This record gives sequence, structure tokens and C-alpha cells, in this order.
Amino acid sequence: MGFLGDALRDGLQLIFGRDPEVVGITLFSLRVALLSTVLACLIGVPIGFIVGTTRFWGKRAAITVLNTMLAFPTVVVGLIIWGLLSRNGPLGNLELLYTIWAIVIAEVLLATPIAAALTAAAVQGIDPRVRRTALTLGASGWSTHLAVAKEARYAILAAVVVAFGRVLAEVGAAMMVGGNIRHQTRTLTTAVTLATSQGNFQLAAAMGLVLLALALTVNVLLQLFQGRGDA
Amino acid sequence: MLRARSVVRSYGGRTVIDIDDVTIERGKITAIVGPNGCGKSTLLRILSFVETPSAGKLTLDEKPISTAKDRRWARSRVTLVEQKPLLFRGTVEDNLRYALSLRRTDPTKVASIVAESLDRLQALTLAKRDARQLSEGEAQLVAVARALSLKPAVLLLDEPASAADRATIGKLYGVLQAERESGTAICLASHQLEDAYRWSDDIITLAGGRIGSTTPENLFRTTIPEKTGYTTVEAGALTLHIIAESPGPATVMIPPEDIVLSTEPLRSSARNQFCGTVIKISDDGRGHITVVADCGSDLTARITSGALEELGIGVGSQVFLSVKATAVQVF
Repeated sequence: MGFLGDALRDGLQLIFGRDPEVVGITLFSLRVALLSTVLACLIGVPIGFIVGTTRFWGKRAAITVLNTMLAFPTVVVGLIIWGLLSRNGPLGNLELLYTIWAIVIAEVLLATPIAAALTAAAVQGIDPRVRRTALTLGASGWSTHLAVAKEARYAILAAVVVAFGRVLAEVGAAMMVGGNIRHQTRTLTTAVTLATSQGNFQLAAAMGLVLLALALTVNVLLQLFQGRGDA
Repeated sequence: MLRARSVVRSYGGRTVIDIDDVTIERGKITAIVGPNGCGKSTLLRILSFVETPSAGKLTLDEKPISTAKDRRWARSRVTLVEQKPLLFRGTVEDNLRYALSLRRTDPTKVASIVAESLDRLQALTLAKRDARQLSEGEAQLVAVARALSLKPAVLLLDEPASAADRATIGKLYGVLQAERESGTAICLASHQLEDAYRWSDDIITLAGGRIGSTTPENLFRTTIPEKTGYTTVEAGALTLHIIAESPGPATVMIPPEDIVLSTEPLRSSARNQFCGTVIKISDDGRGHITVVADCGSDLTARITSGALEELGIGVGSQVFLSVKATAVQVF
């Protein structure tokens, strides 16, 4: 307990002392997470919206695929992206492996199904009268979709927050395709892994605490949006 | 104005609507009556072009409505107020503004239309209220105001007063009357038969998704007392002897064909006998005569032309109407 307590105390000192290593890794992680979340939501939210609001052949299959992709093992995603981007892979000439973009691509692949599946569930949960009422009031197809999106906005925001949380906490793929290169591709999670294996518990504890704080923020936001959605 | 011909709607092989011909006419209130689950709401959704029938033709102002573009055009002229209407997040005023914005109303006129529409239903005090916090009755009223603000050519209402008190019902139907006078075609679904009778020009009875062959008359809302079996109930101004199976609110109907008309009181097994004055006699040209007598409440009897001749009655004559307690139908 004393050992853990010491590590936590030293970790807090690193955070409040604004240790450049901790700050740098935190900012990098946030950059990766934000970028990945924005891209994943730009792809996933419209897909989820279409799946949730329109009728088409194979809709159930599409929902099943989306839900299965939620449980996609991160190391498998890492493996696929690594295979694609490695020097001998089909996209090797882009030289993206072990760059921020490799991590972003992997995280987008992981977060897009979350954004899509949760958006689909959000709009499917919207009262069917919303669409009908908009139509009876004379809404065009586009305005009708907008009315549904407006009603589901808090639940869709919650989907975005969950996607962000997933990306922020992800370690396997980031490690595999980012390479955990100091000052270049080291994220909070990969740094914790490395620091722990090196026995640098103070640094690991500091990063761990930052991760926890960010996770807490994400969950507070989630609660807030879900609370509003229920209102 | 709005016509549906040979309209069928099926869900997974189960036909819920099978209508030969329905017309909603301009300047008239048409009521669709029938028990719960008879297809009223589905029919209204079809007539409001939010639900596409499995088969059949719909025309609006003689124009066939078949393509998505046609339906969009039709929806710009028709609106529907659902039984449990949905109000969007925001204030009551926001809801009316949103509806008007969808119909591209001149923004300079929006404020006055919103105020006027709410005022017509004496709901102006609700303008700033959170729409989602309204009672069911208030929400219905606001939904009607929202529909009226669009000045639709056809206004469809599904049980618009199901959650309203008597005063609000009167207010609502008063506004609908005025709307009818201004030429709007109005169609409302109701299970409150006496209201449908009182306020509408045409009645369509729906049963099992089909239009009933006859229009029910002599309908009364009543409450069956605890003592069931052979009992008495208040039906309008009349006291009716009936056979009832269960207590509680009910609708009773005296089939016009089961009423025996006479000029003298009858000494018979019929438990119900009323004295009234003939106020209307009409002939369908096929030997059926419909006689309406004021007995405190209006009662309609159907007799043959031969019977009318033999009785020698006319408008203003005093008549006796007899009906067996077993003939009174209880819904």
C-alpha cells in the first residue's frame, strides 16, 4: 500500500508540477482522440442515422454487423492496419506506419462502429410520431430527418462521447501501429504500459491519473447528455 | 376534395383497412366513428399521406396522388392531428413557429399567426410554456392550434377531444365549425359518438377496417349501473330499459328498424315506450321511411311507406315509439 501510495503521490506531483513529459503525452493523446472521434463521427453518425431511420433490404444484418464491430478486438484492428501500412503492405508507400495518422486510422476504425451503432439505436429509439408529425406539418424528406436528428441530439452526442472515451482508453492498436515512439506517437495508454514495464511507477501513476480524470470528464458529459435526452 | 377509392392497407398479410370509397368534402365536417382498433387512425394516416396504402387510389382536388412528389404536394395542403399528438422540444410558441417555417410562411407574419391560432382556442396563456410539460388535454389543444395555423385545405383530427373536458370540447368544436364555414374540409375520428353526431355533417362508420353499410342512429353515451342484467340507464333525456352485461361507461344504440311507431300507447311486451312529436320525415325512394321524433332526445325510427300511409302521421304529429329492452344494443 505504501508503495502504491508513494507512486500516486509522486504521480500527482508530476501532474501539478506540469511535468513536460506528462503534459506532452496528454496533449498528444487528446489530439489523437479528438481527431479520431471527429473523423469516426463524420463517418459513423450518418451511417447510423441511415441504418436507424430507413428501411432497406438487409437492415437487420447491417445492425448485426455494426453491433459485432463494437466488440472488434483492438489488437486485430492494429494487426490489419499494421499489415496495410507496413513497408510491404498495399499502402506501405504512404509511409504512415508509426505516425500519428496510423494511430488515427486505427482508432477511426474502432470508433466508427460505436458512433454508428449508438446513433442507429438513438434514432431508432425516437418516437415514430416525430417523423410522422414533421411530415403532417409539411416537412420535406430532409427536414423530416433533421427533426428526428434534433430530437435524438443528446443521444447522438452521447454516442460521440462514448466514441471519444473508447479512443482515449485504447491501447493495443495505438501501440502496434504507433510504435510508442517518445515525443512522436506516445499516448497516455501506451506510456502507462511502457512506464509500468520499466518500473517507472511515478510516471505510470501520473498518466493513469490523467486518464482517470479524462474518463471521469467523459462520463460526466455522458450523464449530462443522457439526462437531457430523457427530459 | 380528398377522395380515397379501393384503398387497402395490410400489415404482414393482415388487412386493417379495406375501403371502397371515402370522400372528405370542402366546407364539411366528416366524422369517422367506430370502436377502438377499427382502423380509424390508419385511415387518417393514409388520408394525410404519411402512410402509403398497400393498394388503392387517392385524389386531392381531382388530382391523383401517386408519386412521392405528389404526396409532398398533398402534405402541403393536408394536415393531421394525432390522438396523442407529439409536440417538439421547446415552447408551445416554438412548435407553432416550427410548423410555419416548414410551410415557408412569410416570417413577418409568423408572430401574428401564432398568436391568432392560439387565441382561437383560448390557449394564448400556454404560448411560453414548455410543450413537453403540458397535460394531455392541453397538448391536444396546442396540436390543433398548430394545425390550424397552417391554414390547411384538409384538416384531419384523430380523437381531438379524447383528453378534453366538456368546456374544452365545446370550444374546440366551435372553432372547427368556424373553420368549416371558411371552406376547410374537416375529417375527425371519434368514439364519442354523440359529439360526432352533434358536430359533423357526414358520418362514416368503420368496423374491422371496412365502412359500415348503415349509419348508426339513436346512439347515447351512458353509464351502466352496478346492477347489470335487466336494468335502466339514462340515455340523453330518456330513461332506457336495457339488458347490460357489465357496469361502467357505455354507448347504447336503439336500432331504428326495431322501433315500433304508433299513434296510441301500446299495451305490449316492449319495456321502452316514449311519446314524442315528429320533427322530420324522409323517404329514401325505395320504400324506407325515416321518421325522427323529439321525445326529449331525438329518436329515429325506420318504417315502410305502407306503414306511414296507414298511420297517417306528418311533421308535428304526436307518436308513440316502442322498443324492447332486448333490442337495445349496448357497446
